[in-house]
Amino acid sequence: MPERAKRPPLGARLAGALRRTAEAAAERPEASRETTRGALAVRSRRDFLLFGASVVATAMAGWWLLPERTKRTWFPGTADRLDTLAARVGLTRMQREAQLNRVLTFDDDVAEALYSSHRRVRTYDRPDPRPLRNNYHGRTPGPEYLAGWRLNLSGLASGRRQSLAIDELRARFTRHDMNTRLVCVEGWSHVVAWGGMRFADLLAAYPPASGMRWAALRSNVGLDGAGNPEPYDVSIDLETARHPQALLATHHGGAPLTLAHGAPLRLVVPMKLGLKNIKAITDIAYTEAEPSDYWNERGYSKYDGL
Amino acid sequence: MPTEHETKAASEEQRRASAAARAERAARARAATQAARAARAARAAEPVRVVPKHEGLVRTAHWAHVALLIGLILSGLAIYWAAPVFRHAPSPGNPRGDYLVDAGRALVSLFGGTGNMPNWFYDRFSVGPFQLANALRLHWLFAYLYMACGALYVAGLVRGGGWRALLPRATDPAEALAMLRYYLGVVPHALSRKPWPHPPVAGKYNALQRGAYFTMPLVGALVVLSGWAMHKPAMLGWLERLFVNYDGARIVHFTCMVILGGFTIPHVILVVADGWDTFRGMVTGWSTRLKGTPHA
Repeated sequence: MPERAKRPPLGARLAGALRRTAEAAAERPEASRETTRGALAVRSRRDFLLFGASVVATAMAGWWLLPERTKRTWFPGTADRLDTLAARVGLTRMQREAQLNRVLTFDDDVAEALYSSHRRVRTYDRPDPRPLRNNYHGRTPGPEYLAGWRLNLSGLASGRRQSLAIDELRARFTRHDMNTRLVCVEGWSHVVAWGGMRFADLLAAYPPASGMRWAALRSNVGLDGAGNPEPYDVSIDLETARHPQALLATHHGGAPLTLAHGAPLRLVVPMKLGLKNIKAITDIAYTEAEPSDYWNERGYSKYDGL
Repeated sequence: MPTEHETKAASEEQRRASAAARAERAARARAATQAARAARAARAAEPVRVVPKHEGLVRTAHWAHVALLIGLILSGLAIYWAAPVFRHAPSPGNPRGDYLVDAGRALVSLFGGTGNMPNWFYDRFSVGPFQLANALRLHWLFAYLYMACGALYVAGLVRGGGWRALLPRATDPAEALAMLRYYLGVVPHALSRKPWPHPPVAGKYNALQRGAYFTMPLVGALVVLSGWAMHKPAMLGWLERLFVNYDGARIVHFTCMVILGGFTIPHVILVVADGWDTFRGMVTGWSTRLKGTPHA
């Protein structure tokens, strides 16, 4: 029987591998090379010219990207002249808005690529004990609208418009409860105990017409800061609306929604920024084309996926 | 009195002499120019040894980081303004209890101002208050570029082999202490005009530099990760949990910003102290300071 070749023990082999790794990662000795002063000067001049040109280009692009208010605050005397200078090389305000909106679209595309209706949003055992902040953009509407409130549905497969009272909705659909985090675009967040029906259940009961890809949610009772009527609307892709954690909430903290938080029915989509969680919904229209969105018209993203 | 003929002859002689002097001056000047040109040519042909310091991608990423970090901080602080996470109890002058408002007031009073400007800090160290939509768009733009830049930096470290000089070593703690002792002694020894030799440096960097240049890319990675944890806490829930929760990610993100910004202060001071060769090295990539030559 041939004798088996003796292999070194495991310890020695590991030590060898470790030594080889350490050698590969060890800093190499400095390797200088010879050149001439002239060649060095030519290269150095080229590199510094390139460096200087990049600094100038970056400063110009930076100026162009700054918001108007910032320019006026930082350089009140020369802002207009610098703007004219930048506009000469094509860096206009309109160009900037177009480019920055392309950035938003790109970021929205990334968010949409990350989205999966199978992925659950994190839930919590207990809601945040502090009271939830009322972040109504304008004035909080008074209770007058509650008596006549109805949810109007359009863009349905039936081809008809549907109008539902809150009692009908509550009686007809199962209530689901969840503690999820409401994340505001401003940076604050709050774990809230929500209760309500699944948007998916409403979609199943009143299916949208074929080809519809969007839900346009609207609140006709919204008010601006002066108390004048200012409807609020958000666009929600139906992919998100069908997520099991997308609720049409009727309850908050175990009690029916208060006026400050969108009585009697609001949207709760924890996979979207807080501004998509529209309060006091009065209309849902299913559409083929992307509907308008209050905050998108004011420079924020369209998709707002978290 | 000289005759007319004599005067003519004298002036003729003068003219000739001055012409000869002019010609001689011109010849001397030509010779000088030629000599200078020859000297320049000789100097240009002089051999010189250089050592490659920084790979091209590393240099590009380094300078792009400067602009991007400034842009990220300016837009980031304007986002922070909308809902500060580090807060104290509200006071009459600062109902939001925002520490940055206090910091701004302290700075104003240093310059002799009234300190009655709650937005002083945000107006100067950010793109300003009430700019949330603008600041968010800018922040996303710079954030995507920052990630691309980080990738470029790592690619440059790999391509040029520069990563080897950054890895921590067993000798680092002792060498770092020696460097700290050296830095603390620089000013007193300069004042008393006593020699204070630089401790020997075995590789490209001393232990303090190595520690800083190894840590900063990690802080950069952490700032990106905490950023994504805040940006997509629902779909990247695992990442949000890594920072405990949403507010945890905000605090880590803010702290990383302070570390990255704070690092640049000693970094710039030491580059200025170290001299032109060090700065030129990050622009051109090479240095004429070879190992074995005395450290400035």
